[in-house]
Amino acid sequence: MSTIALNASTAIVAIAIVLLIFLMKMVKTVPQGYNYTIERFRRYAYTIQPGLNIVPPLFHRVGVRMNMMEQVLDVPTQEIITRDNATVAVDGVAFYQVIDAPRAAYEVANLNSAIMNLLMTNIRTVMGSMDLDQLLSHRDEINTRLLTVVDAAAISWGIKITRVEIKDIVPPADLIASMGRQMKAEREKRAVILEAEGQRQSEILKAEGQKQSQVLEAEGRKEAAFRDAEARERSAQAEAAATLVVSEALSRGNVAALNYFIADKYVKAMQAIASAPNQKVVVLPMEATALIGSLAGIGEIAKATFGEAAVQARRGGSGVPHVDTRQS
Amino acid sequence: MMPDPSPVAVWGWFVVAALLMGAELAAPGAFMLWLGLAAAATGIVHLFVAMDWPYALLLFAVLGVAFAWLGRRLAARADADAADQPFLNRRAAALVGQAFTLAEPIVGGEGRIRIGDTVWHVSGADAPAGTRVRVMRIDGGRLVVE
Repeated sequence: MSTIALNASTAIVAIAIVLLIFLMKMVKTVPQGYNYTIERFRRYAYTIQPGLNIVPPLFHRVGVRMNMMEQVLDVPTQEIITRDNATVAVDGVAFYQVIDAPRAAYEVANLNSAIMNLLMTNIRTVMGSMDLDQLLSHRDEINTRLLTVVDAAAISWGIKITRVEIKDIVPPADLIASMGRQMKAEREKRAVILEAEGQRQSEILKAEGQKQSQVLEAEGRKEAAFRDAEARERSAQAEAAATLVVSEALSRGNVAALNYFIADKYVKAMQAIASAPNQKVVVLPMEATALIGSLAGIGEIAKATFGEAAVQARRGGSGVPHVDTRQS
Repeated sequence: MMPDPSPVAVWGWFVVAALLMGAELAAPGAFMLWLGLAAAATGIVHLFVAMDWPYALLLFAVLGVAFAWLGRRLAARADADAADQPFLNRRAAALVGQAFTLAEPIVGGEGRIRIGDTVWHVSGADAPAGTRVRVMRIDGGRLVVE
C-alpha cells in the first residue's frame, strides 16, 4: 500500500488508536497519601482517593494533587517584644494536615505561606501579651492558645493544624546573665538561711542539754539531801533507841555498871593520851582528883559488898558525881 | 483485505503482551497491565479466529478499555475488603461515630473539643460543658456533632 487508502481498515485503526489514548488518559492511579481533585470543564467536580481510579477522559482533568499527609512547617526565628519590653528571639514548628482536599486546593492560594503568615502574626500576638517570665514558664499555655487561634482561622481552608510548638525562646545575652545572677543569689540566700537555721537549732539543742544536765544535777542534790536527812533521822532514832535501851537497862539494873563503863573509858582515854608519840607533856585540864574520885564508883561497889558504914567512914568528898542508888 | 493467517501476527500479540507486562513489572502503575492482558486476549482470540490486523488492533483497544474497567471494579472490591487501615490519611473520618465529652460549651452552634492532644472545632446544637456528643459527619475541617 503505497498511499493511505481512506477505507474501513484505516478508520478502524484510527478508532483503535483513539481508544488506546482514552485508556491511557482514563486510568489514574493515585498514590497513598494523596487526593487528586478532578475538574470538569475546569470546574471542580469531585475528588479521587488513593488507588486505581477511572476518570472519564473527555472534559475531565486532574486539577490539584493534594498531599493529605501531616506536614511540618518550620516557623523561622523572629524578634518579639514582650509585655515587659524584653526583646526575645522565638522560633517554632507547626504541624498541619489537609482534611478536605478541594477546600485546601481552591479556598486559598499558596497554602503554606498562608499558614506561615498566620502563625507568625499569632505568635507575636500571643507572646506580646505576656511577661518574659510567663513566656519562659508557660510554654504549654502558649502552644494551646496558638493552636486554638490558628486552627480556627485555618478551618475554612479545609486543613487541621494539629499542633503548634514554640521551639526556642532566646532572651538577649545580658538578660540571660542577669537571670543567672538572680538564680545564683537566690541559691546563696537559701544556703545562708539554712546555715543560720542549723546554727540556731544547734544552739537550742546545746542549751537544752545544759538545762537538762543542771536539772538532773539539782535533782541528784535534792535526792542526796533527802537521803542525808533521812540518815540523820535514822541515826538520831538509833541514838534515841540506844539511850532508851541504856536507860531501861539502868532503871532495871544498877547505876554502878554505868560508872564502871565511864571509868573504863576515862582510863582508856588517859592511856591514849599518854601513849601518843608526839606528846611528851600531858596537860590535864581537869582535877586529877576527880579521876581518882571516880574510884568512888569502885567504892560504891565495895559499899555494896562490905556494907555502907565501912565506906562512909573513909570518905571525904569526891569530884565524881554521886549517883544515889539507894532504894527506899 | 485477505485474512492474515500468518502465525507471525498471532504470536506477535503474545510478544507484545509479554513486553507490556514486563514493563508493568518494571514500573508498577496498574496501567500497562490492562494493555498486556488485552494483548494476550487478542492473541488467544487470534489463534482461533482469523482476522486482519486492523481488526485485531481494534479488538486490542476495546479489550484494553474493558479490562481497565474490570480492574477498577476488582480494585474497588479489594479496597472494600482491605480494612487493614481504612482511615489512613483520613484522620477526621476516623472520628465519625465516636463519642466525646465537651470541655467547653457549644455556644451559637460553635464549640471545641479536645481529642488526642489537639483541638477540633465542632458545630452542633448548643450544649453545656460536660455533655457527651457523638460525631455524625465531617464538614470541611469541622466535626458535626449531636
